[in-house]
Amino acid sequence: MTLTRAHALGLIGAAALLPSCSGGNGNTIRIGSKNFTEEYAIAEIYAQALEAKGFKVDRSKFDLGSTQIAMAALQRGDIDLYPEYTGTGLLDVLHLPAMRDANAIYTTVRDAFQKQYHLTWLTPSPMNDSQALATTKAIAAKYGIATLSELSTLAPQLRLATIPEFTSRADGLPGLQNFYGGFKFKSVKVYDIGLKYDALLQGSADIATAFTTDGAIVADDLVIVTDDRHLWPAYNVAPVVRDDVLAEHPQIATILNAVSPLITDVAARQMNFAIEHDKADPADVAAKFLKAHAL
Amino acid sequence: MNYLFSHLDRVAQLGGAHLLLVAVALVLATAIALPLGVVAARSNRIQTPLLGVLGAIYTIPSLALLAVLVTWIGLGFATVLIALVAYGQFVLVRNIAAGIRAVPPAAVDAARGLGFSSQQRLRQIELPLALPAILGGLRIAAVSMIAIATLAAYVGAGGLGTLIFEGLAFHQPQRILAGSVCAMLLAVVIDALFRLAEKRATRYRVAA
Amino acid sequence: MPAGSFAVLVGPSGCGKSTLLRTANRLVVPTTGRVTLDSVDVASLEPTQLRRSIGYAIQAVGLFPHMTVSRNVAVVPELLGWTRDEIAVRVDELLALVDLDPTRYRDRYPRELSGGEAQRVGVARAIAARPRLLLMDEPFGAVDAIVRTSLQDELLRIARSLATTVLFVTHDVDEALRLADRLVVMREGRIVREGTPVAVLEDPQDGYVRDLFGDDETRAFRLQRARRALPA
Repeated sequence: MTLTRAHALGLIGAAALLPSCSGGNGNTIRIGSKNFTEEYAIAEIYAQALEAKGFKVDRSKFDLGSTQIAMAALQRGDIDLYPEYTGTGLLDVLHLPAMRDANAIYTTVRDAFQKQYHLTWLTPSPMNDSQALATTKAIAAKYGIATLSELSTLAPQLRLATIPEFTSRADGLPGLQNFYGGFKFKSVKVYDIGLKYDALLQGSADIATAFTTDGAIVADDLVIVTDDRHLWPAYNVAPVVRDDVLAEHPQIATILNAVSPLITDVAARQMNFAIEHDKADPADVAAKFLKAHAL
Repeated sequence: MNYLFSHLDRVAQLGGAHLLLVAVALVLATAIALPLGVVAARSNRIQTPLLGVLGAIYTIPSLALLAVLVTWIGLGFATVLIALVAYGQFVLVRNIAAGIRAVPPAAVDAARGLGFSSQQRLRQIELPLALPAILGGLRIAAVSMIAIATLAAYVGAGGLGTLIFEGLAFHQPQRILAGSVCAMLLAVVIDALFRLAEKRATRYRVAA
Repeated sequence: MPAGSFAVLVGPSGCGKSTLLRTANRLVVPTTGRVTLDSVDVASLEPTQLRRSIGYAIQAVGLFPHMTVSRNVAVVPELLGWTRDEIAVRVDELLALVDLDPTRYRDRYPRELSGGEAQRVGVARAIAARPRLLLMDEPFGAVDAIVRTSLQDELLRIARSLATTVLFVTHDVDEALRLADRLVVMREGRIVREGTPVAVLEDPQDGYVRDLFGDDETRAFRLQRARRALPA
């Protein structure tokens, strides 16, 4: 073997030392983020808002691979806070049944997280990254579609562009049909997730499945059809913070609670659009957002 | 390639972290696999169940393994290291055992008869003769570790995966390209180095 | 077996001659009985130390393919901790002894040797540390007849010059008769006849032993040749 024992021991030593370099106490707040655009942008907003008030922020845990990993890291204290969605907390962490009322979801996750995990949900943002149906402004005007209730009866005249799982999932098309009634589309065409809006814009479909904060909605003159009877649970974003960190730094709550109300659907769409279409860096996008609100 | 060149510092830093991770994992994995491989080579009764278990570990989806490890070990270097070491075992142990088993029986008998202790026989005869197979295992393990180590980003351990997953999230193919080209380059270079080492280790077979 | 003798174990394959040979350096541990070397029971000796003091050469040669000829020859002196200079001198001396030009063969790998050359290196390796006893298990079994004869001649010359005791296993009766000053005939794990080649051929004492050396005519021819080979 060309690797000697001394080399091996040296490297193992290096490995043992590395994790201890990144831990931080004192005034450093370790913020996590799951690895999708909106989370990066919102985590950056939290980070820069805290930095503006004199905190140091460790961003080395910004690419977490899943909710499970982020939650495990938060519970273990590998991170101090990260942006989470109320709907995700309810369905994917607590494994509770879906609820219709956004406020009920928030209070449920807030109380359950406090009790079970000693984690605090701060004030949620109005931004709600939920499932939705979208259409073009032109079609909305032509048929007079503003809400899902209206759309349910107009569906037989319209063509739906969607992604594979939507046609079968209980909270997909079957859910729409059971909950609102109607929703018998003239045709249902399945597309790859990246192509469903193209179908809409090129006129080969009239309605597409969407997420309410998709950047494409800003870009392409699309509108979201309002879920007026709340079929889909709310996914409001909020900072979830460890209780011990909050006890040590109560200002975190004040600072972030001042920022969260500013993050609306429109703001989120604009940030997603800036990152995904204009190739902007999440840090720059967050800085611009905070500057626009004079923070 | 714009991102690669405009953010050379960041790419180099992530690439360095990636390489360090794989290097440490490979050394640790080999340190564990060597005794296991030797024991497996000596006994079928150990080799069969051992390779069965290691093969089963090899098939666990990486993200699932990382998610489980995070709850025990936490975010960061150590978690990915454990995952990489665990994934490396199958190929390494299999190749080490196969290499030792392929040592000519006459050489083993001669070594015993001439008075090599079993340690001396292992170090001076069996391991050197198994070296090409062992290096082959190291090469495959290293290249697969370079690929799996992109998932280090999932648990906050950095590496080139950071660029790839950012690129996927932001719809910024330049970041994906920068990350994957560097990972690929790393894999190609490591592969070539191990092939060179294998060739050197087998020179005696083709010496003219 | 007296020191300095050249004893050959002969018998068909599977008769236990290799096993008997391998008890001498504890590669095989006898279930009953004792093996003594200079009236010391080998079972009381540390196996690796014992083996380093005994030469060992086998049919498959078992040269270490990743080592050059000189390193192969040097393994036992190295295990015994000889100095580098002592080893270098000894290697050249040994290669010359087995009729291989050191400058041409020293740095070759086993792969680059013919069967006969490999076997010479095997013999050189076996006697490198001047063992008092040399065990040889069909060492010339895999080489052709002409090479075998010359290897036998050299072995006889070497064995006489070193005054080493040789224990040699073969199933080839002509080889046995040619090399042995003491012949041991084995059958199914037992020694059935022991003596000089001439004595055994003159008086086999046993139908099995007699048949081993061929029909009457062949045996007479072999006896004649054995008598002729005796030193004057």
